[in-house]
Amino acid sequence: MNTNTSTFKASGVSITGLHKSYGDNEVLKGIDLEVKPGEVVCLIGPSGSGKSTLLRCVNILEQPNAGTIHVGGFEATDPEVDLDKMRRTVGMVFQQFNLFPHLTVTQNCTVAQTKVLKRPAAEAKEIAHKNLTRVGLGDFGERYPDELSGGQQQRVAIARALSMDPTLMLFDEPTSALDPETVGEVLSIMRSLAKGGMTMLVVTHEMSFAKEVADRVVFMDGGVVVEEGRAKDVIGNPQQTRTQDFLKRVLDPTHVEISD
Amino acid sequence: MAMTTRQRARLSKTIQIVVFVAVILLLLFSLDWEKARYAFFSFEKLGPMFPDLIIIGLRNTLFYTVISFAFGLVLGLLLALMKMASFAPYRWFATGFIEFFRGIPAILVLLAFGFGIPQAFGTSWPQPVNVMLALGLVSSAYIAETLRAGLQAVPKGQTEAARSLGMPAWRAMVTIVIPQAFKIVLPPMTNEVILLTKDTSLAFILGASIAQYEMTKFGRDGITAIDAGLTPLVMAGLLYLIITIPLSLVARKFESRSARTKR
Repeated sequence: MNTNTSTFKASGVSITGLHKSYGDNEVLKGIDLEVKPGEVVCLIGPSGSGKSTLLRCVNILEQPNAGTIHVGGFEATDPEVDLDKMRRTVGMVFQQFNLFPHLTVTQNCTVAQTKVLKRPAAEAKEIAHKNLTRVGLGDFGERYPDELSGGQQQRVAIARALSMDPTLMLFDEPTSALDPETVGEVLSIMRSLAKGGMTMLVVTHEMSFAKEVADRVVFMDGGVVVEEGRAKDVIGNPQQTRTQDFLKRVLDPTHVEISD
Repeated sequence: MAMTTRQRARLSKTIQIVVFVAVILLLLFSLDWEKARYAFFSFEKLGPMFPDLIIIGLRNTLFYTVISFAFGLVLGLLLALMKMASFAPYRWFATGFIEFFRGIPAILVLLAFGFGIPQAFGTSWPQPVNVMLALGLVSSAYIAETLRAGLQAVPKGQTEAARSLGMPAWRAMVTIVIPQAFKIVLPPMTNEVILLTKDTSLAFILGASIAQYEMTKFGRDGITAIDAGLTPLVMAGLLYLIITIPLSLVARKFESRSARTKR
């Protein structure tokens, strides 16, 4: 683990009264959530609980129906806000990596720097190399994404996001599509980002990671926040029955009794 | 008598070859060589067709193809975007247009443009213009479907990743989606150009002055003007292959070059 990472410029997130529906299906039923600059918050909960939707609302990949979201100096939910400008400050890491398959690893990390931030090519390349080195892939710049393992691709995706100098990073189940043996390498990069002071909002099923790295854990179910608090409290000593049931299923999947 | 699988396979292959050779031999022996040579291969008599077949016919075939394709491509892209639009009437229009022009024979569209439209609108532009309009319309219907399929085949996550990096929608389209769609669309587009090249041969039904003849028209006229059987048509056919085969080769080269990054 790399302990002397540079500190990041960090911004916070503030969500109030967030609602999101798809047709008649209400996925988020009034969410309030505060993430302080430099804080690491993990969103946990069963599938369909709305945690990914919540994350995708933060950079308006999903348009909320009601409520306000502030990200750094931007009000994401303001119809007048310059979304492109806001998104430059918010790094997003997807479950399926979503690397650009027609570009090399380096180009994946430089394309938005040059086209969006208008950085000169040489500078962009240098920044890309710095971030690829940070994720342990400094020698992989000329490869294409499909020549890399899943874990390596996800690390490139992290380097790509970091190359935009984000002040907030969103992770949408970043290890769920990975082979078990490559999960660790991605988590260790995320751990070092957290240590460096990056604000992170992470949807994850990795309870041990959440327990160790998160400042705060938020348990969601049925489109509402059921329980939130310090990681060791929520995961180690949950107060709500729904949280207890969920954690029992996740932490010990072989001993679940099928009732109903 | 039991045979092993391998013996059976060998026997079946032998039978196939024997039958194939027998058919070829039968054709060769039943052929009247003298007449066949006259009807199809009297190339030495084609002198009078040159150089017009090349400098007028080949040139016009290429010209009609390129202009029709350019027209079809622009219109096709427009239709593809309309078909993906959120505004329903655009989708209805595009769907109706595409189904109509894909569903009727090209020759009907050509006749409509050659004879109907000039009467109905009082236009009197040269027939090749009508030909290119008609073929462009027909090909735009096919091209629209090809482009739409190509653009939609690029996973949605690609656009989301691009937008998340702060790219505006048009930038994500131009830099991320279209280059990937291009690779998907290249083989069917090549097909489209080849079909169009051959469809320009339909131009003859509208009549034209000599300077407007394309290759098939030269071939047909050659049958009556020159005593060489169908050789003028064989010659025209060879010239079509000279256009279409290199096209396939270039497309295949593009395809194999992009195959690695295509997944």
